[in-house]
Amino acid sequence: MLNMHNIRKSYRTDTVETHALRDFSLSVDEGEFVSVTGPSGSGKTTFLNIAGLLETPTGGEYHLDGQEVSGLSDRERSRLRNEKIGFIFQGFNLIPDLNLFDNIDVPLRYRGFDSKERKRRIEKSLEQVGLSARVKHLPAQLSGGQQQRVAIARALAGEPRFLLADEPTGNLDSLMARQVMELLELINQAGTTIVMVTHDPDLARRAHRNIQIVDGQVSDLRNTIGAEEAAVA
Amino acid sequence: MIGYYISLALRSLRGTPILSALMVAAIAVGVGASMTVLTLNYMMSQNALAHKNDVLYAVQLDSWDPNQTFNRGDGGNDIPLQLTYQDATALLRSDIPARQVAMHRYGFTVTLEDSEARPFTAETRVSTRDFFALFDVPFIYGGTWAEDADLSPEQLVVLSKATNDRLFGGADSVGQIVNLNGEPFTVVGVIDNWNPSPKIYDLNNNPFADSEELFIPFGLHRRFEMVSWGNTNGWSAGDNGYEGYEARLFGESVWIQYWVELNSAEQKSQYDEFLTGYIRQQKEQGRFPRPLKFALTPPSEWLVLNDVLEDDNRVLGWVSLAFLLVCVVNAIALLLAKFLRKAPEAGVRRALGASRHAIFMQHLIESMCIGVLGGLFGIVLALIGLSGIRALTLGIADRIASMDWLMMLAAIVLAILASLLAGIYPAWRISRTNPSVYLKSQ
Amino acid sequence: MLELKPMLSALWRNKVAALLIALQLALTLAIVSNATVIVMERIDKMARPTGMDLENIFSVTFKPVDNNYDMAGAMQADLDLIRSLPGVIDASVTHQIPLSGSGSASGYYTEPNQVVGSFTANYYQTDPHFIEALGLNLVEGRNFLDNEMYTIGQNDRHNPAVVIVTKRFAERVFPDESAVGKFLYAGADDHPTQIIGVIERHLGAWPGWSLGGNAVFVPLFVTNKQAHYVVRTESGQRDALLKQVEAQLAERDPERVIKLATLSEQLAESYVGDNLMVKVLTVVIALLTLIVALGIVGLTFFWINQRTKQIGVRRALGATRANISRYFLVENSMIAGSGLLLGAAGATTINEILVRDLSQPVLPLSLLFLCALLLLSVSLVAALSPAMRAANISPAVATRSV
Repeated sequence: MLNMHNIRKSYRTDTVETHALRDFSLSVDEGEFVSVTGPSGSGKTTFLNIAGLLETPTGGEYHLDGQEVSGLSDRERSRLRNEKIGFIFQGFNLIPDLNLFDNIDVPLRYRGFDSKERKRRIEKSLEQVGLSARVKHLPAQLSGGQQQRVAIARALAGEPRFLLADEPTGNLDSLMARQVMELLELINQAGTTIVMVTHDPDLARRAHRNIQIVDGQVSDLRNTIGAEEAAVA
Repeated sequence: MIGYYISLALRSLRGTPILSALMVAAIAVGVGASMTVLTLNYMMSQNALAHKNDVLYAVQLDSWDPNQTFNRGDGGNDIPLQLTYQDATALLRSDIPARQVAMHRYGFTVTLEDSEARPFTAETRVSTRDFFALFDVPFIYGGTWAEDADLSPEQLVVLSKATNDRLFGGADSVGQIVNLNGEPFTVVGVIDNWNPSPKIYDLNNNPFADSEELFIPFGLHRRFEMVSWGNTNGWSAGDNGYEGYEARLFGESVWIQYWVELNSAEQKSQYDEFLTGYIRQQKEQGRFPRPLKFALTPPSEWLVLNDVLEDDNRVLGWVSLAFLLVCVVNAIALLLAKFLRKAPEAGVRRALGASRHAIFMQHLIESMCIGVLGGLFGIVLALIGLSGIRALTLGIADRIASMDWLMMLAAIVLAILASLLAGIYPAWRISRTNPSVYLKSQ
Repeated sequence: MLELKPMLSALWRNKVAALLIALQLALTLAIVSNATVIVMERIDKMARPTGMDLENIFSVTFKPVDNNYDMAGAMQADLDLIRSLPGVIDASVTHQIPLSGSGSASGYYTEPNQVVGSFTANYYQTDPHFIEALGLNLVEGRNFLDNEMYTIGQNDRHNPAVVIVTKRFAERVFPDESAVGKFLYAGADDHPTQIIGVIERHLGAWPGWSLGGNAVFVPLFVTNKQAHYVVRTESGQRDALLKQVEAQLAERDPERVIKLATLSEQLAESYVGDNLMVKVLTVVIALLTLIVALGIVGLTFFWINQRTKQIGVRRALGATRANISRYFLVENSMIAGSGLLLGAAGATTINEILVRDLSQPVLPLSLLFLCALLLLSVSLVAALSPAMRAANISPAVATRSV
């Protein structure tokens, strides 16, 4: 599903060059639920941005769903992002002046669906996260957990093969965090590949596999924990 | 997708009403000011004879003073703008032009027999019979006079529609008698509304005056000892061997406007030869003391030659465009502020699959919406500006200080162009920002 | 004390916003300074004295119905009637109405039979009453005598024996000596015409004419198809007498068309173009300054919003409120200053074009400087409120996380 080989990413300011990722290699299979952990500044976010086609690597190869993506144009990358990738953020990133319907509508608009299809998908995904009744509400009228569920609904509406989550429970209390996590597991069981960046070792253990990034590199590829084991721990 | 962008734009404008109002106001004021002035300049540059621009020519002959050129401002070509009476009557004898007109402005006191109506002064055009056909003047009743009337005195008159309405209540007055300076004239025709502005056929004096109320044949000069009610320019006060009114007719003063219609290049070159020959022949008789020079000028150039659009109008034109430019720069700054404030939203849209191009288009269309609104308000401001100009010009500019549909359309187009110009950089800037910066949580 | 270097680097990072403000000010200075000099010139032009008792004069034009009308007789009867009305100071006949845009001009020579080197002047065929009827001031010599007045037909030739000229014309033709007693010639002619008097001032038929104020008066009545009178009344009685004269002339002979107009109307009409320039350019100057000020307010607010955090850090590190607002005001003056410098160059270039191609006045450096100073203060005032806002940003902003 996702295959990175020797990815490098460096940022340049006036005086210094920082290496965010160095010879970063990672492979995620279809249907996997992978958690990514690591200290602040280790390169987690850069990895997520590259994986989500928001940034291009300075060097290396990246295959997404069998396709080499590092050489694609902005338009092609945007289409891939739209069709194959769903994003979930720590801060939810709902557009504050759009109601739930219009928020979920955003990726579907760029997809080019007709209005009937868009309506069907919006209703379906809101139902999936249990918020059908709030369709006309603005994000500010919802709790944090509800907002994150809307964000998940927005990510799901395009039926992506691949979900990228960046600290999805970071802004939530433990009860809400658990609900969101259970929702993600449900989605994964339905066949969507998930890569989740997190600080929380408990959450990380609930994934099929945990990857640790240190100084822009994967520190231990063998550190693999099964979902069942995580549940026991 | 455009519909989606427009709905997003309107939502965004409603979201920041003060900033949006400022931007709409900037565009509206810029467009309003420039359209006020440009409408004036556009109306002043109208060419009512554009459709005959290839065949009509104003005739100029350099019969002027041997000691100095004829000089009238900086727009002229150093040849008198009008002809002497003797040259005009001589040129009329040529049968080369398909049509030709010798004419000038005059005024008569008008009365009707057995009428209680107060006498009034009527602006009159003294002209040869081709006037109506050459300038495409439409008749309601009757038609022009016969050729004889241009050579020997026949008291015939063609009325304007307004004059016919005033004297005969709009009825067919052909054959009726009108008294001009107390002398009976027979009506031979009534023309329909016809009032070109600028008054291209005679740009002497006020080029934005109304066209004349009466038209009479060219053969009546001696009968009424008519002089021009427009510009008369002379250089030789000397004795030319004639006495009384004849001395005026055979003098060197210029006061007759002359137009010809030449339908082919061949006719034109024949006429060039004819004029050359005429001047040569006059030189032999001691006239035309300057180097041989004449000009045949089509209507569009005639307007330029006569300085219809004055320097002041050009200054105002440039000032208003510069004003619009300042408004555009102003709008760039405000749009930049507005768009960059919405950068996080653009970041989310990018993550959800919007390409840079999509983000660019979305914001460009938002600028265009501001342009359309600015254009609509700009039209209102321009209408206010034009009514201000009508008030300031004491009625002189009433006909030129008014907007037609074309100018309203131009206002909208100008506003959209201005807003696109203002929107390109801010939209490009926001489409280029790195979305990941805004996706990280607060 | 002022941190110029970090200020400059901050400016560099926000160069587009800074550039936009500077560009607006540059364009505005270029337009406003040139518009101001044009406005000032036109106001001066319109304020020029006409030499006449403008507010108390009206003109009468009449055109008889009959083609063979006794113009000379009618003129005498009309003038006798008008002069007899109480409140009328005097009335005279004139072949054209002053300030009306209709007039005659001719070239005058100082030597007999001269053909080049004439002095052009606006001329009036009038009568001995014209000085009183127009409220002119005879500064030298004498008025016409009744026996110097002639009446001729439209096609008759007449060489006047005496003329009165304006001081302006007299000084142009005979600099450094009195014109009274000197002779003028019509050109290619040896008939002498003697100057018998000099009038202080008379603006003539065309106030906008480059030779305006050069006028010559001839004692002559040419019987024509129409005639004009000018009538001067006691102060404040013009409008009432205008109606009275209209009625009495129509009553004396109804078989003619009579038209009356005040001289102040004529003057307003001949200054229509100048008045339009003044009003339109004044509106442009005002709107432009307003728009630029609003633009600066908007952009400075945005800019300060962008740098809230930075300002908070500065405050946390010990900058006072005054330091912060001064920082933004100094920054604003640097941007405005460079914009205005650019604008001054632009203004000068544009002025050269205006003077060369569009016959507009030269922009004096002092005026340019004054306009720049004015715009600088407008820009500072506009930046004041955002700068105060910046000074009120709490140092606590610095400690909030990103």
